[in-house]
Amino acid sequence: MFDRRDFLKTCSIGSSALALAAAGKLGFAAERANSYDTLVVVFLRGGMDALSLLSPGGSNPSRGDYETKRPSLKVPLTGTGAGLAIAGDQWRLHPRAPQLRDLYTGNKLAVVLGTGMPAPVTRSHFDAQLNMELGLAGQGNGVGWLARALASAGLPPSVTMPAVSAGSITATALLGSTESITLGSGADFRIDSGSWAWNMEPDFLGTAPAGARGIFSVLPELWTDSGTLEAAGRQTLDALSVVKPIDFDAYAPANGAVYPDTDFADRLKMLAQLIKRDVGLRIATIDLGGWDTHESQGSPVNSYDPFGNKVEELSRGLHAFFTDLNGSAANNYAATTSVVVMSEFGRRVRENDGGGTDHGYGSIMLALGGAVNGGQTYGTFGGLANAQLFEGADVQVTTDYRRVMSEALIRRLRNPNVYYAFPGYSGYAPLGVFQGSDLPPANFDQIFRNGFQA
Amino acid sequence: MASAFASQVFSRRNLFQALAGAVGADTAPAMHRPGKAPLADTGEAKSQPEPNLSLPPAGVRWLQKATYGYSSTEYAQFQALPGASDDERWSNWVARQLNPAAISDSACDARLASGGFTTLGKTLPQLWTQHRVEDYLTRIQPIAEVECATTIRAVYSQRQLFEVMTDFWHDHFSTFGWDYDCAPVFPHYDRDVIRPNVFGNFRTLLEAVCKSTVMMYYLDLHGSSAAGPNENYARELIELHTLGAENYAGVLSPDDPSLAMGTGGDGLSIRLKYVDEDVYEACRALTGWTLRNGHWSYPGDNDGTFIYRELYSSGLSWHDRFTKYVLSRRFAPDMGQQDGIKLFDLLASHPGTAMFVARKLCRRFISDEPPQSLVSSIATLFLSTWQAPDQLKQVTQAVLLSSEFKNSWGSKMKRPFNSLAGALRATGADYTPTLATYGANTWPTKDEINSRLQQCGQRKFYWPSPNGYPDKLAAWSSSGSLAMTWKLLVRLTEIHKEVGYDNNRPFLIDILGQTNTALASNDRTAANIVGYWCDRILGFRPEPVYSKAVNFLRQNAAPTDVLTLNETWAGGANPNLRNHYTQSRLRATVALILCCPDALRR
Repeated sequence: MFDRRDFLKTCSIGSSALALAAAGKLGFAAERANSYDTLVVVFLRGGMDALSLLSPGGSNPSRGDYETKRPSLKVPLTGTGAGLAIAGDQWRLHPRAPQLRDLYTGNKLAVVLGTGMPAPVTRSHFDAQLNMELGLAGQGNGVGWLARALASAGLPPSVTMPAVSAGSITATALLGSTESITLGSGADFRIDSGSWAWNMEPDFLGTAPAGARGIFSVLPELWTDSGTLEAAGRQTLDALSVVKPIDFDAYAPANGAVYPDTDFADRLKMLAQLIKRDVGLRIATIDLGGWDTHESQGSPVNSYDPFGNKVEELSRGLHAFFTDLNGSAANNYAATTSVVVMSEFGRRVRENDGGGTDHGYGSIMLALGGAVNGGQTYGTFGGLANAQLFEGADVQVTTDYRRVMSEALIRRLRNPNVYYAFPGYSGYAPLGVFQGSDLPPANFDQIFRNGFQA
Repeated sequence: MASAFASQVFSRRNLFQALAGAVGADTAPAMHRPGKAPLADTGEAKSQPEPNLSLPPAGVRWLQKATYGYSSTEYAQFQALPGASDDERWSNWVARQLNPAAISDSACDARLASGGFTTLGKTLPQLWTQHRVEDYLTRIQPIAEVECATTIRAVYSQRQLFEVMTDFWHDHFSTFGWDYDCAPVFPHYDRDVIRPNVFGNFRTLLEAVCKSTVMMYYLDLHGSSAAGPNENYARELIELHTLGAENYAGVLSPDDPSLAMGTGGDGLSIRLKYVDEDVYEACRALTGWTLRNGHWSYPGDNDGTFIYRELYSSGLSWHDRFTKYVLSRRFAPDMGQQDGIKLFDLLASHPGTAMFVARKLCRRFISDEPPQSLVSSIATLFLSTWQAPDQLKQVTQAVLLSSEFKNSWGSKMKRPFNSLAGALRATGADYTPTLATYGANTWPTKDEINSRLQQCGQRKFYWPSPNGYPDKLAAWSSSGSLAMTWKLLVRLTEIHKEVGYDNNRPFLIDILGQTNTALASNDRTAANIVGYWCDRILGFRPEPVYSKAVNFLRQNAAPTDVLTLNETWAGGANPNLRNHYTQSRLRATVALILCCPDALRR
């Protein structure tokens, strides 16, 4: 493993002459942090109420319909709980998301309107998540779209940690990848729970007689057979070895970033550390659940605001993550990191009698990063008048989520194989959310793939 | 600065390695490397058959799959059952387990009684009034006690199949037990709703779940009314509890000509797939199914129990009285609570429900993608017995006696809670999780184990979504779950009773004592000790685990050398690896066996 990032950090602490010499020798480009991009997909599980996170503003023609259909849940234009105006007050961000507003006005955050899966239409959480994450509309062999994106990414021969699913259970989008690590907590991710006398090597070797072998060096010998479980075990052992050298507890966020004390933020912080260590991270997934607000969703006008609590968790977490990565010159990791936030669907336009909202259709996506053309909205909004709604009830899907993801793959990850990642998708048409040049969109060469696997 | 210096040394070493083009033996592997396939052979794409696994005896395999894990005690009981063959003994084992009330469970009962639990026997109104309070610890005490009791039963109950099926139905009708509204009344859900129906009738279970306080809150049905329908429960009722997403046709008109008709349990025509309109209509049918929860319209009714309400006290409709149209069946107007009764009848006797539930049952016991022929035959039985009081007993029995059950092995793995319970069962652990505390600044063993289970991804009653914990290998063999499972299993061999790190308290698992009892001092060779623990944990002595564990335990002694099991440091001037910390080495050996693939597959 060649840890260039550690080396650069080392140099900044130690001799600058050595740093310059080494950098010159290895041909590093100082203005770019990592030599590749990282795509972080944040999935808001449960169907995030996009019309509360981003409500029509005072100059939006849909404002009247919004207020009529959301009598108790509406985010007001003035007074307590007023939404934060963006885009010439076409839209209001939820008042608990001032950090997102700042990122938007700083041109680091973009909003894509009317996003979703055009077909099949489903109001099932589990179907919708499965369709979107497998990336092929209900058909599948259990391989997620990000797993295919990674497999077709044209990686260099050896990459320490190309993908992380931040959690204890793998995100469906990364299912099937043998190269991905599923990681809930980096600091806890080591088998150091045995007796100290036979625990992790090399910890116990200082006191043990020569030739001693500990538990962890023997464990891999039990997992050598062929078989599905054994293969998964070896992947886990690889992951443990890859993660083991990293001291997660010692990590200090940069640029004054303050991560809130939540699981979501902890995992973002872990990803930031991995990005800075230059472990080769191309793809990361991270979940934030709790958006299925059928009842008592709350309102920013009142102190009871469960939806707002989730918004704040999201907003503060993303802001800390961006700030942490947003150093200058060779520490500008934000320039090589793009975050895309999505949910399986939006919620019904009309609120229900229980102070909540039921499953709907069109949603929004957020894109955040130094290479995002932020401060703008993309796509079109179908409107909230009855005749404009899907089936008279929901926001229309006007932007295929695959369109946004394809652009991220091509322009940022430099992977043209978007039709392999999304079988059945065609007509690549970037919205311009991401900076970077286009490549001819392609399907992955199966001959190459087979050769690769051999 | 010390850590900065360490990192400096470390990364410079890496740099030099890289410059030299060296791939040293101590270099951590890369997840992406030449010659490694980037995608697993999964699901339908899977082309490689499972290798010829070394097989434990049939009885061991069947017990691994049908209980919370093989134990030598359970296996001895199995072998003592009447029958001339394993097949006959298995039929007798299943028959005995399907009649749990006839199985004496005094040891488990005594352990439960010793736990000092105070909420498990409270009635629903008692739980409602005494625990639905502001104080957080009082509020969550009921779910915390159910968690303890569930663990105790999983490990110690003689009614293993009953416990496994209780877990199955908790997953099928999954709720988040620690929810603010569910936690205080959770014992009612476990004790009065799920458990009585585990070997009973699905239709009965379905309605009992609907009426339960826990489900009423978890999926919001209690507040659904004619003027303000809440479709959360109705959607999951059809998608997760009955027909399943496999029978969802999406957003289509209910009369779309592409939608096929079939025959319902009453012999009449019924639509085979559901559309969104069916969810909305089912939702209307169930308006008025609510709780005596101090609702503003009936503030005096406040004990948490189910009630059907036709009207608000104002006279406005609570129940939607008009006609409904579900699965192409017309519901007459003004049928009141009968709308819901009819809905449950239709759903419980629907061929899609039978197929969906049968597939889940087969998935639990046989393989992730069970053979369609077996699923169909179980579904047929499910349908033909849908009104039988012992429907689920018959169905469970049919799965467990099928040749597919008997012949399948190793394509599934134990989920983390199963791995925990299995390890405790196999090793004769003495574990009674309770809510007791053990002084200030201590971390009770129960809390540590539950927190480690949470890291594995399967703390009990902790899955937030209504679809229940996954039941496929891919979910639990991920690095995140499997690594944390190994960590938990290793820890089990070192953790102490009551407070994990307090050396004055005995170990949770008395590995040394059991080894000394089983083997006379001059028999305590590495080979004998590992053989004994392989038999205890795995039911056989497979390779490579047997030889590798022997090598670890003996270190530099011969496999047949008698080991002195003492806990001394044998480093220093006259190092003696063979005698170095042999007691912890023994515990670590057991940990290795607990962490091998043969201990985790089923």
